[in-house]
Amino acid sequence: MNATTANLIDEIKKIVSAIIEKDITTVSGFSERQLEAISKQTLIIKGGIATGDIDDDLIDFFLEGLHAMTTNFVNTLKGILKVVLEKVWNAVISVLYQAIGILGFN
Amino acid sequence: MKLQKTFSQKLILITLSLCLLSSCRAALAPEYDKAIVQNLTETTSKTLQFLASVSIGTNAETFSSRENKYNELIGEFEMLKLLARARPLPKNNVTQKINKILASKNGPTNTDDYPSAFAFNRIVQNLNKMKATDKKTGLNTTVVQAFKGEIVIFLDQAVTYESFLKR
Repeated sequence: MNATTANLIDEIKKIVSAIIEKDITTVSGFSERQLEAISKQTLIIKGGIATGDIDDDLIDFFLEGLHAMTTNFVNTLKGILKVVLEKVWNAVISVLYQAIGILGFN
Repeated sequence: MKLQKTFSQKLILITLSLCLLSSCRAALAPEYDKAIVQNLTETTSKTLQFLASVSIGTNAETFSSRENKYNELIGEFEMLKLLARARPLPKNNVTQKINKILASKNGPTNTDDYPSAFAFNRIVQNLNKMKATDKKTGLNTTVVQAFKGEIVIFLDQAVTYESFLKR
């Protein structure tokens, strides 16, 4: 591997690492908040059913809600992942274009 | 040396080919919409204030004093749902591939909707159910907590996703 190739690879690694490190922090914070909130919600519903505060009419609604919030939690992570992939792809292509000598791309 | 040069040339050739095939700039997610985020911030604040105002429970007899607030919030989340869904979904195979992986692990794969639009829709359902229950029997503190818990979880999902689109 010559010096130019090594520099190019190094530059790509740096830019990818910078994007991933920043975004993983956001994803990690979001995941922790959601998992804690969904766990608390489950316990509220469990307690409400046990005491009778949540009646039959609301039990199905809240159970359906637990399913919906978990599904959408995963779908939100998928949505965020797509943005991360897009940023990484565009950043790598930008570096490669600059290496070739083309400034900017559409 | 010759081998290295060939490798570099191949790398450039592969990159250019990939670019031609994929139009270079990838668009896997919708554009950030400042109007959605601004509206969402305001509506979130109003919703949390309303939930705080009923946190000690409600009485069906005083429902009429809250009815307009329910209607206002439901209308605002319906509008946010429309705004979120009005953006075209970028066409790509990434979602299908991720869904395929999740399906192989029995994970949830059932929606092509925006996570924020899905969240707004479920918040509307919560507010409608809360309104109907409030009108019928009033709300005890546990039920208010359960509605608040679900609404806040969906708000967090919508705010996180919409904010993340700013790149």
